[in-house]
Amino acid sequence: MAKVSQDIRDKYTVTIGIECHVQLKTYTKLFAGVSNDARGAAPNTLISHICLGLPGALPVVNAHAIELASRAAFALKSTPSTFSTFDRKHYFYPDLPMGYQITQFYDPIVVGGKVHTNVDGTPHIVSITRAHLEADAGKNTHPAGADYSLVDLNRAGTPLLEIVSDPDIHSPAEARAYAHELFLLMKYADVSDADLFHGNMRFDVNVSVSTTDELGTRTETKNLNSFKSVEKAAEYEINRQIALLEKGVKIDQETRGWDDGSQKTTSQRGKEQAHDYRYMPDPDLPPIELSDDFIARVKETLPMMPDEWRATLAGLGLDASQISVLLEAEVDNSNVEYLLILKNNLSNKNYAKQLANWFVNIEIPYRRDEANNPRILAPQKPKLYKAVYDMVEANKLSSTSARNLIQLLLDHEELPDNIEQYATDQGLVQVSNTDELEKIADTVIEDNSQAVADIKSGEMKALGFLVGQMMKLSKGKANPSIAQEILKNKILS
Amino acid sequence: MYNNVMVNLTREDVHRLAMLSKITIAEDEIAQMQKDLDSVLAYVEKLQDVDTSNLEPTNQVTGLKNIMRNDEVIDYGMSQEVLLSNVPEVEKNYIKTKRVL
Repeated sequence: MAKVSQDIRDKYTVTIGIECHVQLKTYTKLFAGVSNDARGAAPNTLISHICLGLPGALPVVNAHAIELASRAAFALKSTPSTFSTFDRKHYFYPDLPMGYQITQFYDPIVVGGKVHTNVDGTPHIVSITRAHLEADAGKNTHPAGADYSLVDLNRAGTPLLEIVSDPDIHSPAEARAYAHELFLLMKYADVSDADLFHGNMRFDVNVSVSTTDELGTRTETKNLNSFKSVEKAAEYEINRQIALLEKGVKIDQETRGWDDGSQKTTSQRGKEQAHDYRYMPDPDLPPIELSDDFIARVKETLPMMPDEWRATLAGLGLDASQISVLLEAEVDNSNVEYLLILKNNLSNKNYAKQLANWFVNIEIPYRRDEANNPRILAPQKPKLYKAVYDMVEANKLSSTSARNLIQLLLDHEELPDNIEQYATDQGLVQVSNTDELEKIADTVIEDNSQAVADIKSGEMKALGFLVGQMMKLSKGKANPSIAQEILKNKILS
Repeated sequence: MYNNVMVNLTREDVHRLAMLSKITIAEDEIAQMQKDLDSVLAYVEKLQDVDTSNLEPTNQVTGLKNIMRNDEVIDYGMSQEVLLSNVPEVEKNYIKTKRVL
């Protein structure tokens, strides 16, 4: 589709709201004691009379789902509701055996909230309308050419937290930033595996455009499972809607799907009658009343959130891009524990600063390079970094040697007992011993009479050359600042 | 005052109710259905006379709250075979339905 020109685009205000379904990391389903891990399970093996909606089956809420939703409330800068209830949302579809979905319509577990994002250095706040618990549906497949569909109910009843934003988003970039920040929040609060590839987070993007103060007709593009597709689908819809309006065509309020292959949204269901879900309180499920004690305990167990880390890391002198690298790397691999190690050492600011720099500049790039095979486990890392730090502080390692040593040690599954001895054996320890350095300096002075003469006549550039010669003779182990001092003393005094 | 008002469901209303209830109604059944549903609605509308402005809706009658279970697998003693035994048609352990989409 042709892109509309910037002039035309500028006439329109873009309004975007996003609904996000987050799969909670419970072991069992929301209302049945049946395993939740449908990945790779044979069809209809993770089912029960409750998942199938058989007559007389009684759903019972999974307490862990309530706790995880409460954690999510704090991650969204809100507080879990002290009173919430479950309701039935009625519609017919083969993947919904009960004929209704159990959700929270009237009294959701999270009301209000905020997500702070940042788009190209500009802070942006998206308000959260609500977040509610609901049971996922099963999965339909449609064999090619067949006149039937196949239903697998393994996923039916998986706990979802649906997070609904206010229409506070005004560009595709802001939409992407919001989706991404939600991902970090759910990861850091540890409420979801947030594995987008496996559909643990799915985004529905509502887009409208308008030239007036009134909102335009919106479309909803459903089931986006990457930040990029959130951005692209929003961009596509904005252009599509503006192009239609410019031609005088009205926008249909409709549900659309995103096709990654063609990078287009397409109408999924034609214009249909407005939904009538006939919400009603579910009489099988008594209300959930959370005590102040419970809420306080949940709050206590929440780790530092991305926002707090950004402030802390900026205080350690990291720039925005380094901070982002570190916050992302933390969730890439559950065995790295960068932030836990940092957190345990925040009282020693110098060390914490050095650690953050080593993580960003050494360990993270080292792990990214697939040619490397770091085998170290996170619990060993505090010992590794402390040993390297102590050696640097004692002038025993140059920054280059520190890097080499860290990389060598990351490959160890078990650290050497004596890391300094190991570094010495690897030839990485600097020679700071003056006797030894003086001998090397004498040799260098004898072999380079021209440079020595230059220095004596004030040509200090030659001093650098001689230090280089000392480094060469010592195979890089000479401590350069001490070497320079010794040379100066010997030549100039 | 509501009980004097006839509700007068239209044919479209009946069609819509049929769709929401996922049932098929023959065209020649609609007129009777309109009449029957109208009288049901007229009867139920008497309830509108009751002043409920100071009452909380009764959503639960048990007085229970916080009925929860631990996040553990429960052996309900029902095999896949038993659970799927009422399914009209099963193919490779999938439930077979009319094609949707």
